[in-house]
Amino acid sequence: MMKPPSTSGSPKNPVKFRLPTAENLVPIRLDIEIDGKKFKDAFTWNASDPDSEVFAFARRTVKDLKLPTAFAFQIAQSIQSQLLEFRSYEGKDMHTGEKVVPIKLDLRVNQTIIKDQILWDMNNFEGDPEEFARTFCEDMKIEDPEVGPAIAIAIREQLYEIAKQGVAFMRESRTNKKGRKGMEHLSASKVGSPALDLGKLFDPEGSIQRKMSERDAYGPVVDHLSKEEVDALEAREERLPR
Amino acid sequence: LILHGKIAALLLYRHSTNAEEVLTMDASRLYKSSNELAHDLYTIPSYTSWFSWQSIHEVERLSLREFFDCSSITRTPRIYKEYRDYIITSYRQDPTRRLSFSDIRKSLVGDISVLHKVFTFLEKWGLINFDPSNAETPAAIHAPAEEDKEDEKWRIRVEEGTPHGVRVVAAPHSLKPLAPVPSPVITGHRGAGKGRGGGTVDNIPKFSPMASYLDVYGELVGQQKEESVVCLSCKELCASGHYEYSKDASSNLCEKCFTSGNYDKNKFADEFKPIDGANPKVNWTEAETLLLLESVLKHGDDWDLVTQNVKTKSKLDCISKLIQLPFGDLMLGSIHKKFNFLDKNREVRGVNQAQPAISESRETLGNQSHEQNQERQQNGNAECETPPLKKIRRAPVSEDSSFLMKQVAHISGAVGPHIAASAAEAAVTALCYENQCSTDIFDGDDNGLVSIADFSETERTSQVVGAEGEEKHVRSETEVEASQRNSISLTLRTRAATATAIGAAAAHAKLLANQEEREIEYLVSTLVEAQVKKLKRKMKHVEALNLMMEKQHGQMKDLEESLVTERMDILQKIFSSGVSRWRDHASVKSQSSTSSI
Repeated sequence: MMKPPSTSGSPKNPVKFRLPTAENLVPIRLDIEIDGKKFKDAFTWNASDPDSEVFAFARRTVKDLKLPTAFAFQIAQSIQSQLLEFRSYEGKDMHTGEKVVPIKLDLRVNQTIIKDQILWDMNNFEGDPEEFARTFCEDMKIEDPEVGPAIAIAIREQLYEIAKQGVAFMRESRTNKKGRKGMEHLSASKVGSPALDLGKLFDPEGSIQRKMSERDAYGPVVDHLSKEEVDALEAREERLPR
Repeated sequence: LILHGKIAALLLYRHSTNAEEVLTMDASRLYKSSNELAHDLYTIPSYTSWFSWQSIHEVERLSLREFFDCSSITRTPRIYKEYRDYIITSYRQDPTRRLSFSDIRKSLVGDISVLHKVFTFLEKWGLINFDPSNAETPAAIHAPAEEDKEDEKWRIRVEEGTPHGVRVVAAPHSLKPLAPVPSPVITGHRGAGKGRGGGTVDNIPKFSPMASYLDVYGELVGQQKEESVVCLSCKELCASGHYEYSKDASSNLCEKCFTSGNYDKNKFADEFKPIDGANPKVNWTEAETLLLLESVLKHGDDWDLVTQNVKTKSKLDCISKLIQLPFGDLMLGSIHKKFNFLDKNREVRGVNQAQPAISESRETLGNQSHEQNQERQQNGNAECETPPLKKIRRAPVSEDSSFLMKQVAHISGAVGPHIAASAAEAAVTALCYENQCSTDIFDGDDNGLVSIADFSETERTSQVVGAEGEEKHVRSETEVEASQRNSISLTLRTRAATATAIGAAAAHAKLLANQEEREIEYLVSTLVEAQVKKLKRKMKHVEALNLMMEKQHGQMKDLEESLVTERMDILQKIFSSGVSRWRDHASVKSQSSTSSI
């Protein structure tokens, strides 16, 4: 099979760190507890926004949700540190390879439970998790407005994780001696994500249609919980903090 | 592009059999295994006519570049085609249901973003989830050229000018719709009712092409529009004029109550605006119109200034008046010469009837009015008493369609029945363009299509022939047709009739133009012939003259020769006699004689 010329981030031709999405949004997750009061939230932050926005945002949030003022500082700090971590990767080379990764969605938003699996091409820098989430909610007729953003953030977090691994792999391969045979193979498992065998997936003789046995795993499952079930779940989560 | 326009004008219906309107998809390739769906028709929007199962179009290449730039083995043209074919196929398994992205991504391997892009692309172009009956314009399609087409697609096409099929053209060869008109019909018509034909011709062109709808139907429309204004205080109709309260247009006062101060105490006299006459906007005096035109010429469309000039009329009145005014020669004359169209028609009829003042035609006339009365009774008209013929003709158009049918019959009677038939057909086609349901109505009976023309024909026959045996036949036929027409809804009939009348008139005008043209041609040819004759005669004369010249020339030569021999004789005589004294003199003489010749 003739391999088409690749522009993807192989060790010889690396790309700079970046989430494989069109918009460079950083997934931010907040989980702050002060004096028994808990504040949990997840959202995306535009990496290129100035830091002064962070404080303004924190103050605003505290005011809107009528939280104690102590939260403002904590929120700002948490966002700041997460942004800093993200920026520390920026500008670094990232290994992506010819890689399509499965993204597993398994989340609960209020009373909605979502289980799904999708494939994400790490070389497609025009992906749009938000758009996907919107279509998802439309197709599944989910009315809860919090579900869409939650899906998008879950996707971004996983992509972020894989991108970080790509940077780590690159660093590793640089420190190792060049031209080591089978390195890519060995490290593929090190990268951790179960990268798919593309040659097999996109075989010219094969079909792009998924095998029947796999279809269920890649199909969206949406479940609605009752109020009581949610309460029970939350109580269990309290007892067993992750 | 032509294809686009054509299809765009019509909404696309699934399973429609018209191959031109619906792009047929050969679905056999998709259903290799299942034969029952081997051939089926699917509807796609006209702007997606580029689609082909066999190939990838430029639009696809441009919109989904990632598949065609060889950037990854996960995105190749082959994979795109498989994605596309799979998605469209799964949609077509049940086109009534909306295919969602979540439905298809389950069964397709590949990057979710790319899949989504393909999905939205196909949806945008209507290859999937396209519902023609509920079609909204899909989100902006990138190619700017497409936008025009889309506009066109959802625009209702309105036919303008002469009805579809009747073309008024300069060249007689391109007169296809009227081609089968046999010449005997025209000549017969001219011979039978010359006065009538002339009358119609006079009648129609009086309203020049620029005459507005209001000029023709102004009176009728005015009567209908004339709202009855009820006075607020005395609760009676304000016949002559009324005053409108400026703060509430619905409260009006009649002139009498206004002058006597018969209104609420909290309203003031200056808050009432006088509105004179029943139809204030039509009441323009000639001076006012002239003033309006003058000031429009001076100030252009600066209506404030124009209104200042006109003074007696409001801005709105000025504008509407100017819009109503037909331009050209008619502009100034129209105010005085605005006759009732129908009155004129009646006059024409009077002339017609006067001309063939034979007992036979009177008989048929009686028969005709009898027919009309019959028809009125069938229509269940409220007027119980059978009114005289003239009264029927004056009835308003919109109220009595049978009258209109008469009008149409009259107009189309002026032309040949074949012209009328084609005009009627054209009118119906034009109506069917606008309204789908009318097709059903007219398709219900094929006779309905030509009934109008038939009617005119039968009327003509009854007028011209008037044979006893045929009369009964004609009457029964008209009755049948009348009942047929009654089954068609009134408005549609009215519209069809109007369109037919206009079409017939147009066709007739065209015929007359043709006639005129032929006459001109004939005259020109005779002129040319005469000229040629003249030239030929002249040529003859010239030839005769030439002959004479030649003859004279020959005579001259003979004379010359005889003169020379004579001279020689004389000279010889002189030599022989030996007179030398004359020698010099003689040589001079002979020289002068030769030069003179």
